[in-house]
Amino acid sequence: MISKVEKDYISKGIAAGIRNDGRGPNESRQLELETGIINQASGSCRVSVRGGTEVLVGIKVSVGDIQELDTRDEEEEAMKNRADVGRIVCSVECSPSAKIVLDKRQIEEMCILYTQILNRTLNGPQGGLDLYKLCIIPGSVCWILNIDVLILNYGGSVFDAIFMAVRGAIHNTRLAKVKVESTDGAFDFEVEDDETEVLEGRENVPVAVTAFQIDKNHVIDAMPLEEQCSDSSVSVMVNKHGKLCGVQKGLKGSLETSLLINMIQHCQNKGQEVISAMDSFLAQEERRIIDLVEPVGFR
Amino acid sequence: MLILKPASHADDMEVDRKEEIVTPGQVITKDLAFMRGHGTFTLNEQLVASVAGKIERVNKLVSVKPLKTRFNGEIGDVVVGRIAELGNKRWRVDIQGRQEATLLLSSINLPGGVQRRKNEADEMEMRSFFAEGDMLSAEVQAFFGDGGCSLHTRSFKYGKLRNGCLVVAPSALIKRSKSHFISLSCGVDVVLGLNGYIWVQKHVFISPEMQNQPEGLYINENDEISMEEREAISRVCNIITALVNHKQMIYETIIVFMYENSLEYQPVELLSADLQKSLIDSAISQLEAAE
Repeated sequence: MISKVEKDYISKGIAAGIRNDGRGPNESRQLELETGIINQASGSCRVSVRGGTEVLVGIKVSVGDIQELDTRDEEEEAMKNRADVGRIVCSVECSPSAKIVLDKRQIEEMCILYTQILNRTLNGPQGGLDLYKLCIIPGSVCWILNIDVLILNYGGSVFDAIFMAVRGAIHNTRLAKVKVESTDGAFDFEVEDDETEVLEGRENVPVAVTAFQIDKNHVIDAMPLEEQCSDSSVSVMVNKHGKLCGVQKGLKGSLETSLLINMIQHCQNKGQEVISAMDSFLAQEERRIIDLVEPVGFR
Repeated sequence: MLILKPASHADDMEVDRKEEIVTPGQVITKDLAFMRGHGTFTLNEQLVASVAGKIERVNKLVSVKPLKTRFNGEIGDVVVGRIAELGNKRWRVDIQGRQEATLLLSSINLPGGVQRRKNEADEMEMRSFFAEGDMLSAEVQAFFGDGGCSLHTRSFKYGKLRNGCLVVAPSALIKRSKSHFISLSCGVDVVLGLNGYIWVQKHVFISPEMQNQPEGLYINENDEISMEEREAISRVCNIITALVNHKQMIYETIIVFMYENSLEYQPVELLSADLQKSLIDSAISQLEAAE
């Protein structure tokens, strides 16, 4: 909930180029990112934005049946007929302890929405990961990547944080090597626990940048009150080459074409900045893990 | 584990004990001479903490004051709240408490008259005084039997808040002081609600004549706010967030010191954790020197 005067203060401030915390419309908050913080998971990552938002992602790989997929989603239907790819199953949940302004139903809707966007983005060619490499025996067995997202705290721009954490966790994921043997036409496989490999194409996974429209302007990395001032938002998924991997319009308002194009372009540029900063940081994280330095964990 | 000595040892009373922090389940004392206060319980003849926080001792009474807690008001407390819903002759106000506070139609000042009975017409247009989402400052007037509290705004100090923005802090960090309405020299006013809501706004000059003209009490529009004023407001907001991040008590002098020390930086730079730390450290050493 927000009062009329707060709305007026925020939108006039953005028009003048200054937000409540002194940031410009195009500046994002500092954030912390750490990978490999859950021992039991194949890959994990935590992203916390100074000012509230905190997201934890864990990835568990399992061996599954290729045919097993049971979904009514049209887009996944197309993938279903492919007998030579693995798949990614995402789920977004919101921790009950998260400080959140939305009611229960809205939270549920938000989680379902984010789950769908993640599933659609990551299961297509735009998702970056090489799904063919996840196939173990064509037509029979494949790797399934279970990506579980937990929203620990809500402080605005949670979707951007989710995507970043997913990308970090994918980067951190190690897959056991599989040896496939064929004996008279029948295939058999063996999982070798001691040898692991990284996921193919992990550097091509996109990040999301969300722009919130406020009057005739827009902001990125919005705070909860700013989100409430906004009528419509645009989430843009961008990979490291600056290519668009998906666009999702959010909230209930409408947008003018010129503003929409402007917002997408802005997000695209910002997304590339985010990825280049993130990649150098992930390389550091990788070195830290090789050096066996313990993660800081939760604070 | 901290073991307190019984209060009957007179010499121990004088000892200036460093602030002790306990976590739930931690034994505070095994001595039965102590009385069980808030945030503690007895287990196997030991006094155990039930919340995470600071041990406070008044003579024989030992209590634990938690950092993260809902706001427990006392009569006369200045609070900042947000209207959550409208009810029968009353508003429900979110003040970060266990339950929403009540603001009765009869406990507000109405435009157009000093003291008069509230009639049905007033009841019909309650939303024109306070609508859902509106921010207001008020004072805790009384408590109901179920622990809920009743607010009032019957002073020109209290009422609708405009021309600024809200910063949220844990209520435990707000220091009780003589005045919770602070006017900084930079033209920024701060309303330090004891419930942890802090309103930072542009200074609005109220002349004595205007006090008697309550038509302006419930305006829903901001005054013109210049870029410099916005920057000053952001700076104060960021200083308060810095204090919250570093779990420091929030009160006038520390805000003033930090404001002056921060002038060489842009407001947005104050979001950096390292700068926040150094600003707080220097402000604390200045405060200690001033004492």
